[in-house]
Amino acid sequence: MKFILSPFLALTLLFAPGVFAAFASERVVIVTHSDNAGIRLSREQIRNLFMGASVGRDLQPVALPPGSRTRSLFNIKVVGLSDSRVQSYWAQMKFTGRRPPPQIVNSEKAMIQHLLDQTDSIGYLTADADIPDDLIIIYTTD
Amino acid sequence: MIKIPGVAAVLSALFLSAEACYAEKLTENLDISGFARVIGGYLSHSSRRFDGYTNEVSLDEQSLFAVQPSYSFNDKLSVSSQFVAHTSDDRDSGLEWAYLSYQPSSAWHLRAGKLRTPFFIYSDGYDVGYSYPWVTAPVQVYNNYLFSNFNGASASYYHSGNSLAFNLEAYYGYFKGDLFLAGTKLDIETEVENLAGIVATINRNNLSLRVSYHQAHNKTEIPNVSQLRSQLYALGYNDSASSLESSGNVYALQTSLSYDTLNSFYKAELMNIVTGFEIAPEVTGYYLMAGRVINDWTLHATYSRSEYTSVKMSNELPMPPTGNAQQDILSTAYYQVFASTPNGSLDSYTLGTRWDFRINMALKAETTLLKESRSRSGFFMNSSNESTENAYLYQVAWEWIF
Repeated sequence: MKFILSPFLALTLLFAPGVFAAFASERVVIVTHSDNAGIRLSREQIRNLFMGASVGRDLQPVALPPGSRTRSLFNIKVVGLSDSRVQSYWAQMKFTGRRPPPQIVNSEKAMIQHLLDQTDSIGYLTADADIPDDLIIIYTTD
Repeated sequence: MIKIPGVAAVLSALFLSAEACYAEKLTENLDISGFARVIGGYLSHSSRRFDGYTNEVSLDEQSLFAVQPSYSFNDKLSVSSQFVAHTSDDRDSGLEWAYLSYQPSSAWHLRAGKLRTPFFIYSDGYDVGYSYPWVTAPVQVYNNYLFSNFNGASASYYHSGNSLAFNLEAYYGYFKGDLFLAGTKLDIETEVENLAGIVATINRNNLSLRVSYHQAHNKTEIPNVSQLRSQLYALGYNDSASSLESSGNVYALQTSLSYDTLNSFYKAELMNIVTGFEIAPEVTGYYLMAGRVINDWTLHATYSRSEYTSVKMSNELPMPPTGNAQQDILSTAYYQVFASTPNGSLDSYTLGTRWDFRINMALKAETTLLKESRSRSGFFMNSSNESTENAYLYQVAWEWIF
């Protein structure tokens, strides 16, 4: 009986409404150095770049640490996965030796400095961040 | 009675004192990271064993601790290794893999050394429980004819276009060590050469297709069987003798489709292994799973099945008793070899949950109903040949990455 009841409970929960609505109104911008002004990337390409694929030129993705709200926003809006699923993905990539996760900087301030110093890097910030002139926005989420 | 051996106790103590932390960069070039899992399980069967579990709660079938040091010489060249301490007697503890890695550009990744075999989606990360939702990945796919690593080289190419991303990986090498059949370590030194495979993965949005093909030449000799084979040849039973050949090619085909959304995920994976020798049956295994993500919680349901085809034995030897004692011993031995080869099928239904309670830790619980639809699925140990077995497997797990 226990086994018959559990699938119903599971199915009810499977069709429960989504829970990521809290982030709906906040936007994330994808930022790089103005030296890379010619670059056009689709959301899909940005997603793949941050998940470890190459987009044909050596851009180095830089991420904020797990637990950061901006990282969660980026994961939800660009990657399309929850934080824990992204963590699981990187555990699989890292511990199978396939791809290392993107370099991590500790704050949005550190992210801006890193993007200014390393001109081949690409990162993300909240849309209301104060972005210096030497950096350009290449993608803005909904 | 509860079985808690030393290593699991040490691991538990380690977890209790552990602070959530990330890979430690000891110097600019040296990075130490790792993972661990403590798994408890109980099988609701009074006399059978499944994947090491019995009707005694046990923490030492799948619990493990792994450390992965990695040293970068520069941006392109690094050396990585992984040491795993297993609590199970079935798995050898020690160096799991070690290789030299060269990434001439972000598109290419070349590796050489002792590598993990990338047969199925989770094969090379099978020990990293944190990376998948289950406590135990479906045994019907992941516990058949498995060896976890090989010596050789692999080349991988990644590319992301406007809407499609793909990854192509090819590898070549050899393997010498323990072989697993239906989750049990076979007590023979396995030797596999010309191991080669190709893995193609295509992603479009959150849809992912993985197709892979693997082949190898098996040179493994099972001492008792080869002795019996020589005797049969000597007596002129050539058909019977040749049906005991264990050397030949092995082919594995895998295909899987995954779809992920923010709130749910779906996955199907199918594998088929065929061998060029009669003593090893063809096996097909697959699973279908669906999951739901609610904040830090994941709920998932999986149906899985595996099926062995019958092995072709020769009927040249007369069934004992024939009145000739020597003849009867040979015939009995011959028919016993085939009677102990799996040729059944196993269905399983799993319901599980995962709670990501910290950034790098998760707790899991799952229940699996295991149901043999044809006896001798190969998974239940101590099983008699005729009866089909049913049991529930209850498991809880603590997963940690650092």
